[in-house]
Amino acid sequence: MKQTETKHPVFAVVGHPNKGKSAIVSSLAMDDSIAVSNIPGTTYRRQSYPLKVDGKIIYELYDTPGFQRARQVLAWLKSHDVSADRRHEVVQAFLNTHRDDSRFHDEVELLTPIMEGAGIIYVVDASKPYGEECEAEMEILRWTGQPSMALINHIDKEDYSAEWKRALGGYFQIIRTYNPMQTDMHQQIAILESMAQLREEWTVQVKASIEFFLHYREQMLERSAAAITRLMHQALSHVERLALASENANEDDKARLKERYKAYLRTEERTTQAEIERIWHHEHLHAEITPMGFEQMDLFSEESASVFGLTRKELLISGATTGAVTGAGVDLLFGGATFLLGGAIGAVVGGVGAYVAFDELSEVKLLGKRLGKRYLEMGPMQNRNFPYILLGRILYYTVMVAARSHAKRDSLTIAMDSTFKERWLDEKVQKSLEKYHKQWRSGKGMDDEMLKSYEALIEKILKKLMEEL
Amino acid sequence: MHLKDYIDLYTLLKGDLSTRQERRTFGLAHEALTSRPLSLLKAWVDEKMRTRQTEQAGEKVAHLLYHTTLWLTLLAFVTGIFSGIGLLSYNGHAPVNLIYFLALVVLLPLVTMTLALLSMLRAKRARNTLVHLSPAYLMERMALFFTKKEDLLTQVEINPMLLNWIVIQRSQLLALAFSVGLLLALLGVVATRDVAFAWSTTLQIDAAAFHRFLEFVALPWRSWLPTAVPSLELVEQSQYYRLGGTLSKEMIEHAAALGAWWKFLAMATLFYAVLLRALFYLLATWGLKRALKKATLALEGAEELLRDMTEPFITTSSMEKTQRGDVVKKGYGRIQEALKLHYDVIQGWAIPSQQLSLLCEVMEVSAPVCVEVGGNNTLEEDQHIVAQSSGEVLLFVKAWEPPTMDLMDYLEALSRQAESVTVVPVGTEHTEYKPKESDQAVWTDMIAKADLSKVWIT
Ligand SMILES: Nc1nc2c(ncn2[C@@H]2O[C@H](COP(=O)(O)OP(=O)(O)OP(=O)(O)O)[C@@H](O)[C@H]2O)c(=O)[nH]1
Ligand SMILES: [Mg+2]
Repeated sequence: MKQTETKHPVFAVVGHPNKGKSAIVSSLAMDDSIAVSNIPGTTYRRQSYPLKVDGKIIYELYDTPGFQRARQVLAWLKSHDVSADRRHEVVQAFLNTHRDDSRFHDEVELLTPIMEGAGIIYVVDASKPYGEECEAEMEILRWTGQPSMALINHIDKEDYSAEWKRALGGYFQIIRTYNPMQTDMHQQIAILESMAQLREEWTVQVKASIEFFLHYREQMLERSAAAITRLMHQALSHVERLALASENANEDDKARLKERYKAYLRTEERTTQAEIERIWHHEHLHAEITPMGFEQMDLFSEESASVFGLTRKELLISGATTGAVTGAGVDLLFGGATFLLGGAIGAVVGGVGAYVAFDELSEVKLLGKRLGKRYLEMGPMQNRNFPYILLGRILYYTVMVAARSHAKRDSLTIAMDSTFKERWLDEKVQKSLEKYHKQWRSGKGMDDEMLKSYEALIEKILKKLMEEL
Repeated sequence: MHLKDYIDLYTLLKGDLSTRQERRTFGLAHEALTSRPLSLLKAWVDEKMRTRQTEQAGEKVAHLLYHTTLWLTLLAFVTGIFSGIGLLSYNGHAPVNLIYFLALVVLLPLVTMTLALLSMLRAKRARNTLVHLSPAYLMERMALFFTKKEDLLTQVEINPMLLNWIVIQRSQLLALAFSVGLLLALLGVVATRDVAFAWSTTLQIDAAAFHRFLEFVALPWRSWLPTAVPSLELVEQSQYYRLGGTLSKEMIEHAAALGAWWKFLAMATLFYAVLLRALFYLLATWGLKRALKKATLALEGAEELLRDMTEPFITTSSMEKTQRGDVVKKGYGRIQEALKLHYDVIQGWAIPSQQLSLLCEVMEVSAPVCVEVGGNNTLEEDQHIVAQSSGEVLLFVKAWEPPTMDLMDYLEALSRQAESVTVVPVGTEHTEYKPKESDQAVWTDMIAKADLSKVWIT
């Protein structure tokens, strides 16, 4: 066998076709671009997924095609029988002889990284009964002489792990269970720790990779908080202007301005959602289901307000409504007359929230001449409830994306959960948020320090939400 | 970090397409600056600007502001000189009333500095009226208007807080230049002419009170420069009543002594108008620097850029994107709807014989020969079984196990030997041996793809 040329640890995820190898690699490598499907033979070429930190490879993970002609390979190996210490040479000879043989394409693909020094991660699906056909595979792997471990996956609900463990025990010292559909840092760390045991000289680096993963996750949370902060800042302080053709603004102009103001806010929300997807490496979500999830629940819809918004009582508690409220102010707060109606709608939708009429987001002001033109202006956001709705929605979205396994290929269904608000918004948080909302509302702008502390607050909320999952 | 760099960073960030990797590479190459975000940003701007040929907005704006400042400062200086000369000019009829001059070098600076202090405290406010009323601001607006450079400033959106500080600092500079002009004028006039200073006011202030006031004004230098404080005597002597019409005799007698005022006036100018103002200028410069720092960090994208440069760049995904294997989906003609009761041979692919006979019972099929194939059999054993097979063969396969090429090889060999082969995917006992639909589909597709003439599937 070629001695390891590369210094870093390498692992090859191998097994029977369609047992979730690619799903496991997707999850370990946090890569949602890997082809995962219930069609056997989906993966037909080995592919490396290195963990790189600043360009330096910490370890490398290989996804491989499944065994197709294991018995025939084993027969070939056995026909060249030698003493046990030289068996890996026979495997190498097999590779050399069959490199261009299309019949053994898959076996060559999967054995190559192993013969180049990769540790073996053998994947089985313990939701199906144990089958003898894997014995040839395990035997071949044993011939390679490489350190190995078995990973038990459950594609379905049934559990045959007892019989699998008995069988695997004869071939592997380390047997672990792993669920690629779950994003659980502890699970990931546990697997990495097992992988670290495969070979002594790998231990340090694989353990280091655990630290990097934790760091990586921290980065993602921080960046999400930064993106959310940006969204809140942009959306709440935005001022939309409309240049008027004539001296006076008519209702049409006002309606146009309102539409543009809303469109801006929707775009900002969508942009941030995409950013969150990018941060958590769920880019394909974006491509597949564009205005994902919230499609049926527009930012300005009644449902949205009742699920994510605050009730009148909560708004009062937060201090959002202290101080004199005059004229349009009342409408801006609660949506005026529609409020009562909204309460009923909210109850129907399942929330207990107050409904906010979104015709009244902010006042429309007529500005004097500026560069020889008259302007209509709307913003910054005056509606007291809107910040909570916007923040609630983006937090919810972030948690959904962050908690989604990279092995999943179905579309993300956002089951609306009106208890979400209770999971993060208590009186204390609300009071601290209100301070910032007020600042935005005032149009005074925020300095970098205030934005930073807002970001820290968001990060804390996110962490709490993620821990609860 | 200068205003130029701020504006350059602003424009660069707007159109920046650099990847996280590129940014991190830059950050690593400048690792010494990691703990100094502003220097790091500056280094980044410098690097990016080096590759650009044309003069950038930052350069232009900085240039423009520099020149307006320069010209306005000169203007203030000259105005200071002329105001000084004007105030001190002695027309021969009446002595110079030093109250005007005192107002200009003590009262005015104190008032404007209070305003400056207020505007500094409120510099965060975007539309700070104090700042916008400042003569420096208005003068600059006018200068920009007349040079037709106004549009340049609208191209870049400068942080309002930063703009406020620029105006505040500039005001201090202009006031300082004006004061220096005054001081020079005073010294010049005193050196070249004899000036009889006097004081005169309609208010009922006696010499003693005025003296107390002057002593108070002279507080900063009273102790170490007593000659620059007018004595009570001098104050009495130099009081002047315009209503009296002519100069009093006493005054004429003491004409030489009256000149002693100049030291006091010079010290007052030096201390209140020049030194204090210089202090304010320093304060404003410091404030501007801080504002520049804050504004730079608050630029959209700056924080992210810093983060990208200083945080380890971790990737886990592959360089190349995977390609999916082609899925051929075509209908298959040889589908057996129902099983017969009897077959010539029944085989189970990797199904041990015990399970196989159970399966035959459940599926209500029988055959003289029931054997396991595949699984743990050697290839020779399978070949032997194939050789023995003839007639109609029923092949049970585990539906949940995907068809491997090993099986397809076997099927091909078998179909050459037998009359017909019917492949029956079965489920687990949980589903009463009924295969899952998706598994069934996988098998049908696979058999269709192989397209062996005598092979059927249920
Ligand atoms: N529910 C569930 N489904 C899983 C799990 N692991 C894999 N799957 C599904 O099983 C199917 C096969 O997964 P893959 O990861 O493509 O399997 P593979 O071993 O890479 O298959 P080949 O590349 O064809 O050899 C996919 O449809 C996955 O969604 C799991 O833990 N739970
Ligand atoms: Mg795969």
